[in-house]
Amino acid sequence: MAVLTRQAPPAPAPVKVRGVLRRSGLGWVFIAPFVVLFAVFYLGPLLVGIGMSFTDLRSTDVADPLAVDVVGVENYLRLMNDGAMHRAALNTVVFVLTALPLTIGLGLAAAVLLNSGIARLPAAFFRLGYYLPNVTSIIGVAVAWKFLLEPEAGLVNRLLALVGVDGPNWLDDEATALPSIIVMTAWRSFGFDMVVLLAALQTIPKELYEAAAVDGAGRWARFHAVTLPSLRPVLLFCTVYSSVGFMQFLEEPLVMTRGGPLNATLSASLAIFGQFGVGNYGYAGAASTVLFTVIVALAVLQLRLGRRR
Amino acid sequence: MTTTTRRAAAGALAIAMLAAGCGRGTGTAQERARDVTTANATGEVTVWAMGEEGKALGAFVKGFESAHPGVKVNVTAIGWDVAHDKITSAIAGGATPDVSMIGSTWSGELAKTGALEPTPGNLVDKAAFFPGAWQTVDINGTAYGVPWYVETRVLYYRTDQARRAGVQPPRTWEEFTAFVRALKDKGGARRGFNQSYQLGASWQEVLPLIWQAGGEIVKDGKYTFDTPEAVTALKQYASLFQQKLAPTDTPANAFPQTFIKGEVGAFYSGPWMIGVLNDDGGPGFAGKFGVAPYPKGPVSATSFVGGADLAVFKKAKNRDAAWALIKWLSEPKVQAQWYTTVKALPAVQAAWQEPELKADEQLAVFGEQLKDARTPPPFPTWEQVARVLEAELEKLARGRSTPERTAKAIQAQADTIGTGL
Amino acid sequence: MTRTTRRQRLVVHLGLSLGLVLVAGPFLWTALSSLKPEREIRRDPPTFWPETWTLGNFAELFGRVDLGTAFANSMIIALVLVATNLLFCSMTGYAFAKLSFRGKNLAFGLVLVQLAIPAIVVMMPQFVLIARLGMVNTFIGIILPTLVTPLGVFMMRQFIADLPDELIDAARVDGAREFRVFFTIILPLCGPALATLGLITFLGSWNNFLWPAVVAQSEDMYTLPVALNILNGNEGTHYNLLVAGSVVVIAPILFLFVFLQRFFIQGIATTGLK
Repeated sequence: MAVLTRQAPPAPAPVKVRGVLRRSGLGWVFIAPFVVLFAVFYLGPLLVGIGMSFTDLRSTDVADPLAVDVVGVENYLRLMNDGAMHRAALNTVVFVLTALPLTIGLGLAAAVLLNSGIARLPAAFFRLGYYLPNVTSIIGVAVAWKFLLEPEAGLVNRLLALVGVDGPNWLDDEATALPSIIVMTAWRSFGFDMVVLLAALQTIPKELYEAAAVDGAGRWARFHAVTLPSLRPVLLFCTVYSSVGFMQFLEEPLVMTRGGPLNATLSASLAIFGQFGVGNYGYAGAASTVLFTVIVALAVLQLRLGRRR
Repeated sequence: MTTTTRRAAAGALAIAMLAAGCGRGTGTAQERARDVTTANATGEVTVWAMGEEGKALGAFVKGFESAHPGVKVNVTAIGWDVAHDKITSAIAGGATPDVSMIGSTWSGELAKTGALEPTPGNLVDKAAFFPGAWQTVDINGTAYGVPWYVETRVLYYRTDQARRAGVQPPRTWEEFTAFVRALKDKGGARRGFNQSYQLGASWQEVLPLIWQAGGEIVKDGKYTFDTPEAVTALKQYASLFQQKLAPTDTPANAFPQTFIKGEVGAFYSGPWMIGVLNDDGGPGFAGKFGVAPYPKGPVSATSFVGGADLAVFKKAKNRDAAWALIKWLSEPKVQAQWYTTVKALPAVQAAWQEPELKADEQLAVFGEQLKDARTPPPFPTWEQVARVLEAELEKLARGRSTPERTAKAIQAQADTIGTGL
Repeated sequence: MTRTTRRQRLVVHLGLSLGLVLVAGPFLWTALSSLKPEREIRRDPPTFWPETWTLGNFAELFGRVDLGTAFANSMIIALVLVATNLLFCSMTGYAFAKLSFRGKNLAFGLVLVQLAIPAIVVMMPQFVLIARLGMVNTFIGIILPTLVTPLGVFMMRQFIADLPDELIDAARVDGAREFRVFFTIILPLCGPALATLGLITFLGSWNNFLWPAVVAQSEDMYTLPVALNILNGNEGTHYNLLVAGSVVVIAPILFLFVFLQRFFIQGIATTGLK
């Protein structure tokens, strides 16, 4: 941006009060479709979800959901004494802290490499290839990964055996199950970040690199001085979006381990999903409300931190 | 558009009010079933059915339509993965079909919502069904719907390995343990017996053991898992793992390939496994496995019965035709025909006398076992308790708990959950 | 990049190729498996290259499910959602990035809130709402809740924030109204971002399962994943139909991706910025 802002921006037109009002109204016109949809389809249902967390609502009450007892914070108190929920919360934290940097790192590396001046056709080919895990159905992914990680015949352990290591029973060992899921999720998710970052790389004006090159900056220095700062808004987007997604990770453990062995891969969302599945809506609502609050707080925090520097 | 917006606002307001909570009514009056006249049914009737059954039912009901001119049956096939959510959502939104197939452990929960209609007293004779099957629709003496088809668990074993080991299918728990040991030591099944312990289905293998030990998991309207009989059953379950007769390191998805390869020599499962083994085992495998009834425990040789029921919703637009269809599907001949269509075992006992079923030897084992098979209680919270069972059984199987502590842990959690009635 | 040597280029290509094997393996396995007979798919250990080639899985799949209708339904829903999301998300994102108005921060908070709502919590109230509006078993009922997605709004906001303010100010000085600024200045610069948003929206709609499965109540309204799920048995899974089904589902996305390639590579025209 430095090059561009060096030119003095045109002086802002004298602001008139009417203009401000008009523009203020205009802003709401622009966001109206989103706001209306949110109000109708998300605000009400969200309040219902929060409301039911203070009741003993079960799936058997759906035909007459008003005929339930208000139990106050009982569901929340139960949450604090639920060992499986604690484990789920811990797993989710570990998962987000490891899968997030892994995914974004892979996405960024792939995007930068694909943008580093390789010819058009191979680049298109690689882009497609690297995006594949993101679109392959979870069923195909699950079956393929289960075979990869199979303790005896699986490719991973066969390769390990070549170097004399006796590989574990990856998905059925409490120590290795969650790491396996983490790697698999990063593998499956980084294509998204790659595509978004690739699009963002296109918007960096070539002049910036040329100017930096004229100043004698090397490859790494240019990455540091031009690429990273220009990508910041979109990297922030990837971070927030991936955190929100990973905080709710569900599909991978569901198809791979169902949360086992002994809850080693149970995630917060999977636990909530299970409670909804057995019809325990009030309790599931309480757990959802806690998760939801944490996610929003985390997102706001990330945006604050991302904006500051 | 304005009316739509206004209706949307009204709807939003309505659901926002749900949060307020108004308190439960007290006393649950027994519902009275109303008789139905099915002979003159006309008009359209909508039916939801899951998976294979849903796919096949559309063509199958042509027989019903020709017997009842003027009735048109619209079948919508729905996936099992979404069926439960779809039905509960439909109840919440008042958008139910006339008839739906329901999983046999759902009827307690769905009946409690008040959306199902009690089965008319003049529709079918409950004695015509297997007692265990009728249990799945019977909620405290009122029936909601009718059993459609059943499944029950029996012992599958490798006949070639049993022959090599010189053993016959076991008739008692003692013989069972010796049988598995022989398969492992002499038959070539190096991993022994495939007993479920991962999340998913283990409770269905333990309930029969409790019943076989003479235990009851429900008494006087309460869950009873901490009983001497239940501990006996859990000891039997755990003993296979402790004696290394059943593996606890089976990779996910490996079964039933492990059985086809001969690594495990036996397991308990339902009738669908015959088809799976014949398909996956390839030509010649059909002669390498056999089925046998459950061995007898201290008291009985009771098995587990599951399957699916058919229910009619109170908001059905065509009540007469809905029940008429169910009545037709419960006829012995139709039940036998349905078996040839999707291999679903008839819930009506007389259907087993039809030629389609009588000839098959393996099938006869299931027919025999169904006479002594039970189902979990139709409590709305059953699925929640089942998850507790699975979690505790996994600990037991992995040697993290003892049978006594397992029984206590299950009981404590089941008490907290309650029956939901 | 101006000074990339041949050796560096070789290293990059080599690294990318190695990575490709790792990332594309499971997909290739799925694609190849769809051409194997069922027994070979379930064999343990599995084969990679089919021993027996067959199109039987696809024939069986097309015989058992009305894929034509489901495909058309999925396509209609996905294309409508792509169109509405491209328009509304970029409009909303533009307002958040470049317009100043009262309550902006609060409104942007709503984006984060919606992003963080677990889908399973709101599903049933949403369905009740759709039912009251008489939209059960309609396209509009399936489409409405995702007409504008917070993901798209957030992404477009971040992209547009990166565009130089000078462009907009210059246009405003020339007397252009906000809508004209948006349509003639901003949108044309968003090519890669819009292509990405289109892809992501299409993918999300195409794979969406639970909501369409609950709202669609007759098979002629089913989308592809909903129709395919009927085959997913309660006991014993037909892997041959599953893998063939996943290939059918993935193929259109790959076509779309290839089609969008040229939009991904569209450098921002900064030459006009003087």
